[in-house]
Amino acid sequence: MKKRGRGMACMWYPIGFTVAANPSAATVKVNTDGTATLLTGTVETGQGALTVLGQIAAETLGLATDDVHVVSGDTDVTPMDTGAIASRTTYVTGNAIVRAAEKAREILFEAAAPLLNVKPDQLEARDKQIQVLGFPSRSIPISQVVQHSESVVGNPAIGSASYNPPTVEMDPETGQGKPFNTYVYATQIADVEVDDETGEVEVLKIVAVHDCGTPINPMLVEGQIQGGISMGVGFALQEEILFEEGRQINPNLTNYIMPTSLDMPELDVGLVDNYDPTGPFGAKGAGEPTAVPTAAAIMNAIHDAVGVRITALPATAERVLGAIMEKQEAEQLAAS
Amino acid sequence: MATRTKDIQTDAEELVTARESRAPAQQPLSVPADKPVAFPLELPESEARLRTPAVGQRASRPDGRLHGLGQTQYIDDITFPHMLHAKILRSEDPHERILSIDTSEAEKMPGVIATLTGAEIPENSFGPTYQDQPVLAYPIARHRGDGVAAVAATSEQLAADALEKIKVEYEPLPAVFDPLEAMKDDAPKVHGGDTNIYTSKTIKKGDVDKALAESDHVFHRQFRTQMVEHVPLEPHASIASWDGNGRVTLWTSLGRITLGREDLARTLAMPQSKIRLIGTVVGGNFGGKNEITNEPILALLSKKSGRPVKSVFTRGDEFVSSTIRHPFIMDYTTGVSKDGKILARKIRLVLDGGAYCSWTGTTIGKGSILAPGPYNIDHVLVEAYAVYTNKTTTGAMRGFGAPQVCFAYESQMDDIAHELGIDPLEIRLRNGFSENSLSPTSQTLQSVALKESLTQAADRFGWKEWQA
Repeated sequence: MKKRGRGMACMWYPIGFTVAANPSAATVKVNTDGTATLLTGTVETGQGALTVLGQIAAETLGLATDDVHVVSGDTDVTPMDTGAIASRTTYVTGNAIVRAAEKAREILFEAAAPLLNVKPDQLEARDKQIQVLGFPSRSIPISQVVQHSESVVGNPAIGSASYNPPTVEMDPETGQGKPFNTYVYATQIADVEVDDETGEVEVLKIVAVHDCGTPINPMLVEGQIQGGISMGVGFALQEEILFEEGRQINPNLTNYIMPTSLDMPELDVGLVDNYDPTGPFGAKGAGEPTAVPTAAAIMNAIHDAVGVRITALPATAERVLGAIMEKQEAEQLAAS
Repeated sequence: MATRTKDIQTDAEELVTARESRAPAQQPLSVPADKPVAFPLELPESEARLRTPAVGQRASRPDGRLHGLGQTQYIDDITFPHMLHAKILRSEDPHERILSIDTSEAEKMPGVIATLTGAEIPENSFGPTYQDQPVLAYPIARHRGDGVAAVAATSEQLAADALEKIKVEYEPLPAVFDPLEAMKDDAPKVHGGDTNIYTSKTIKKGDVDKALAESDHVFHRQFRTQMVEHVPLEPHASIASWDGNGRVTLWTSLGRITLGREDLARTLAMPQSKIRLIGTVVGGNFGGKNEITNEPILALLSKKSGRPVKSVFTRGDEFVSSTIRHPFIMDYTTGVSKDGKILARKIRLVLDGGAYCSWTGTTIGKGSILAPGPYNIDHVLVEAYAVYTNKTTTGAMRGFGAPQVCFAYESQMDDIAHELGIDPLEIRLRNGFSENSLSPTSQTLQSVALKESLTQAADRFGWKEWQA
């Protein structure tokens, strides 16, 4: 008989390395037509990081996403970056980009200030213009300011900067300290159906609500969450490398079973409204945490459905059925 | 033998064609000759990419269009004239001493241009924390995925065939596979010395034993997790090309090229200025592509052969030789008051580290700090140990220990809620972090949104109204 159950799991997850320095550097160049180039040493690993980093550079310069071309991943060309690891790209590389773009923007403010008869600190970059703070009518298109700065003042608009999250060493005896500068939080809730005659678990739906600070690009955060859940479902129910005397016996995708699109439950993804003042425009990160609470939520839903606590992953049909039978035997023993 | 001759012939013809045409530009195979442009030149406008302010826009990805059109160049799509293909021979035993490696028969095969063994690597060790991992194992192989020799040949098939001609003499050594067995004094030692425990971590706050003794309820359970692989669509892949000035360029699927260049400079004993790493678009990383694998091997094979050398791992290589997720054995003891307030949590974690350290330092650190869960607990003790075994190396994988400990702490939260008759949502709201909560390391937490995520998820799910 198929039985329904629901289970929740929440989690916390840090951004960046544990205490260890993990800096990023960036260079931003503004072109004379008001477009810009961003140089970053990180690499696109499919998560959309370069799009997000381009949006951060664009925001600092008052440009649109499409105005910024991102050059990445070439040690001859791009500056130092600790890389696509530890959910750090948006936060650490993003913070470096804000600082680099601010330096380029400062050059534009200095060039524009005499033209607008104000001081540089009374200017802002918005909607592709350099304008007097709060007075969009007193403005000059960014392209003209770049041309003026480059061809008249002789100061091209370029900036380089770096960022490293501040941490405090952990005490070697007690581990007390500040290992990370910030953390993200999330909750996932699973709705499952368990066949108590076969032990088979079907995940019907997962609701996921994640905090990533300000989502720089909500669509890409949602994509990360959906992908993370698919890894979580595999970790929960299917995937396991099996060994015989140190030899892997299933090193192939015929015998190492992972979820396909047909195994994916209905997903309902939401983002918490949050702002981290230490992140670029309030952003934190979204890579790894998306895969963290899924297995726990599914195990709690299995417990809710059939009353067995799975203590070893993955919860294959065999393992779930074994736990159900053990419970039934114990109940029969208690009854007799 | 028939197929082999054919391969060599085909390859020779390809080389001649490549030399004659000198045409670097490659056309995708699907492009018909009478219609050279197979993609629309007029781009549909993506509104979100054109709007200001840029932050918060659901901007589409410029790489998405190239993926959709099949125009993204992964390593497997990149080729150079005269390029060779490399394959790696792997250890046959989980733990063994290599007595000799004879590559001479392989080298005699037509089309085999160069071979490489561990003894030829200038600095044959790497690793982000401890440099305990060889590029090619020599003289000790510590798991069945360790590479022991490599071949560069004019085709992938030839390189694979040549591996069978390499003669390796081994002396098997005693091996250990279970992490708890490996912790015992008399267990075989994976890296010599007097213990297999290679790193440990303690998080200690308050007086956990006293608080457990004073708790109304004490819950104990052991949880275990398994080894899983990242399974990126694109396996580890690189091309190395050594030029006449002694400068080497690598196109690589590595996710962190700056530090990859440091690792390469170290293993090759070369100045960083003579090494260029180009990080191509990576077809999935998830933590598995955060350290060098085949790059130094390809660089040296390219140096020996004077030709570009490519290697793309098979799915089998990917499973047995790249890093995978640490299995955890987790003992959780939690003291709770009558009204469901967590008073103390005592945790012991044992991490199966596999044959080499890799990213275990980060995994044990994050795993230990996160292990008590996102809850206000005054008395905490976490003791964690990472242990070498003669199995596949465990390293970075999406979450660095967090999915493992979350499975344990959240399963136990539901055990507690169930036993005390408290709703699972309610017990989490009662104990969960809020702004300025103190973490297990006594860090004051900011921009905390745990309870918001709990209540919003519960609302979206319909937690209160839900019925089975």
